[in-house]
Amino acid sequence: MEKLKDALDFSDFSRAEQIGLIIFSIFLLVFPWLGSGSFVKAVMIQFLLFSLFGMGWNTIGGYGGQVELGKAQYVGIGAYTVALLMVWLNIPFWISMPIGVLIAVGYSFIIGYPLFRLKGHYFAIATICTSLVLQDIFTNWKLVGAAKGIELPIHEHPDFLYMQFKSDNYYYYFIMVLFYCTLFYMNWFRKSKLGYQLRMIKDDEEAAESLGIDIRWCKIKTYSIASAFVAVGGGFMAVYNLYIDPASVMDLDLSIKIALMAMLGGAGSLWGPIIGAAFLVPLDRFLGSWLGGHKGLIGVDFMIYAALIMVVSAYQPRGIWGIIEQFRGKGK
Amino acid sequence: MAFLEVKDVIKDFGGLVANSNVSFQIEEGEIIGLIGPNGAGKTTLFNCIVGYYSPESGKVLFKGSDITGHKPFQTNQAGIGRTFQIMKVTTGMTVVENVMVGAFCRTDSRHQAREEALEILRFLGMEGVGEHYINELPIAMQKKVGMARALATKPQLLMLDEVASGLNHTETDEMVVLLKRLNAEKKITLFLIEHIMEMVMAVSQKVIVLDGGIKIAEGLPQDIVKNENVIKAYLGEKYAKSH
Amino acid sequence: MEILIDALLQGILMGLLFALVALGLNVIFGVMDIVNFAHGEFLMLGMYTAYFTSLLIGVDPLFALPVSALTGVLLGLASYYWFIKYLLRGPAIAQLFGTFGLMLFLRYLAQFLFGIDYRILQKGVLIGKSFSVGPFIFDATKLAAGVLSLIAFAVVYYFLNKTKVGKALQATSLNKEAASYMGIKTDKMNALAWAIGGGTVGVAGGLLINFYYVYPTVGLLFVMIAFACVALGGFGSIKGVFFAGLLVGILEMVFPVFGQLIGSDFLGPHFKFTIVYLAYFIIVVFRPQGLFGWKN
Repeated sequence: MEKLKDALDFSDFSRAEQIGLIIFSIFLLVFPWLGSGSFVKAVMIQFLLFSLFGMGWNTIGGYGGQVELGKAQYVGIGAYTVALLMVWLNIPFWISMPIGVLIAVGYSFIIGYPLFRLKGHYFAIATICTSLVLQDIFTNWKLVGAAKGIELPIHEHPDFLYMQFKSDNYYYYFIMVLFYCTLFYMNWFRKSKLGYQLRMIKDDEEAAESLGIDIRWCKIKTYSIASAFVAVGGGFMAVYNLYIDPASVMDLDLSIKIALMAMLGGAGSLWGPIIGAAFLVPLDRFLGSWLGGHKGLIGVDFMIYAALIMVVSAYQPRGIWGIIEQFRGKGK
Repeated sequence: MAFLEVKDVIKDFGGLVANSNVSFQIEEGEIIGLIGPNGAGKTTLFNCIVGYYSPESGKVLFKGSDITGHKPFQTNQAGIGRTFQIMKVTTGMTVVENVMVGAFCRTDSRHQAREEALEILRFLGMEGVGEHYINELPIAMQKKVGMARALATKPQLLMLDEVASGLNHTETDEMVVLLKRLNAEKKITLFLIEHIMEMVMAVSQKVIVLDGGIKIAEGLPQDIVKNENVIKAYLGEKYAKSH
Repeated sequence: MEILIDALLQGILMGLLFALVALGLNVIFGVMDIVNFAHGEFLMLGMYTAYFTSLLIGVDPLFALPVSALTGVLLGLASYYWFIKYLLRGPAIAQLFGTFGLMLFLRYLAQFLFGIDYRILQKGVLIGKSFSVGPFIFDATKLAAGVLSLIAFAVVYYFLNKTKVGKALQATSLNKEAASYMGIKTDKMNALAWAIGGGTVGVAGGLLINFYYVYPTVGLLFVMIAFACVALGGFGSIKGVFFAGLLVGILEMVFPVFGQLIGSDFLGPHFKFTIVYLAYFIIVVFRPQGLFGWKN
């Protein structure tokens, strides 16, 4: 019970932040009725999805202080589990998704154990390696569709068992619910024992050890939590896009985007990943569709993100949220 | 069975032998001081017990179990707490949050951790300090935060690393009173490394002296000050001979 | 058996090139403790430069080498003075992300400037020719790449160990502060490291374009190979990265042949780089000092 209270308790944030959250939530709730086109709706769904990914990344990359660039492998695990179980055994989403999460968590413990002997760039590169290895395996494994990927069979009627709908509105509310679940979890997490321990580790590792904290184990646990959330997002992608392949769900680019959004918005803060996604997803989509028309401008959108990363890392590594906090003094 | 037993511990750093066959025992409830000139190996010994270093040979036994070579988080969970000589001035967590981290060693509930943290701060006379950050406090307070943190892990043995350094006379006196209270009221065995003689003499029931990595004396404070070997270690042979 | 030896020899040739690619990364790391994620992009730009120089000026690719080397040097210096320098003030995480950003920026800049087409040099003195030594046939381009990489590597090695400036660089990489107390300006050494890093990989690019396609994202593959070499050889160790390069080259060539020999369909050539990624992971976790130890 205390856990639930903690999850819903935003009282340690400033008035402004609380009001902002309420306004934002109201907006999210009524958005589908505002009569926007399907393109904008798709952008909103992407935004919520990437916020979810970003918040997942934030547990280990932000609170845990270990920047990792391999989140996509968990998106892939979640997506493929849901897709394959459905295609092979006709298993509904609500059963295949938890299985996907379990696999993701199991996998994260297995590679987490050796992985967390490393820190800093060695660690980051190693996360890229594991992700690339998994992607290579999936791209060449005929059993799971290799490079061609998997197409999910389309169900004619709105189907809550398999989470397939004709109207985007259903998907929108679904991802919105997932988004809030993640947000509440994060709100609880930062106040939990593990959250405190991670903060101590970041502040003063020696002291943390002297206070009974098994640093490596803490980080592995955090990493597994991150992978669980990201896998859920992957499962969503499977039923939303109805088509997955290694390039779309396991690619290094996806890992980079996820980490980038969280870092740009402000890693280590609750709102950071959401801000980052709010900034970059529309930028990506609108810029992409605008530039897509001009063939000569391929790549410019990424150049802009890259320039953004460069500027932010040189001047305010704590991201947009860090900039906001600078104006206010101190924050959470 | 001794509470803490150090048996023939040898720690060498590739040629430099910092601890050479050091042995002693501590009984539960005692207050023991560890002194010796600079470079005697006190900190090394401290770290061998707590787990930062793993001795090349010898054993460390706590409450009968072998904890030789265990990691710091393990020795802490087993019941040994420690303070640091220099507190890292951090700005990420408030004082009470720091102490809560210690409390979290023994509980999963944030509510309870906070209660215990506040209780410890009250015991140490630090109510009102909770919401500050370590870097905002004077040295004496910072040290007490370090103690509060360690105390939150409910240690049965508390090891203090030069807790009196940087304190003035009044603060040192207060610390002596505090340590005695900890020992009497909270039933915590204390093991202190110290340079400040007045602190050691005032608070210890027994004193162990290291010099050049070897234990050269062990006994009551009043006997130690008169011990020839101890005087020689600190003041040199000539002085010892002439007195 | 013959196939195996052939693979071994081919692997050595490629390995020499890998060693050159990894050398630059290692020098920068040794001096500044920064991992330059954009290293692969420097290579890619070196390749494009050699390609266009050769094509537009009609010069033989071998003569385009100095141009790609110079491009590399300029890229390295520009990156340092206009960007990396500012990253140094921040935490290590920011540095990581900074060079990552640089990598993306250069990659998509290339995509914007050159498009996504694959290009390779078709005309040149050595292209299309081959030498045979006994039962083994070597492409002239790959042979030249191997030999020239070895020479370039030797030049840098000589520079680092026998010249005053080179030794100053080594001093900075061993102990920045001590070196600066002795009058060696850290800032200049950093810039030098980036110049060497960029220059060597520029040369490598100029060699590679003779037999390997260039496209905007080619950098990723090579930077991962470079990471593996650096990790295997021991971060910061120049001698180490040489042998590690050879090892990776051999691994990469021998592995698919090995798969062929044991008749495995699964262990095919498409996994040859997967092996390299795995190797990095295993080495870094289980033997972080690499096969040859820390900075020498």
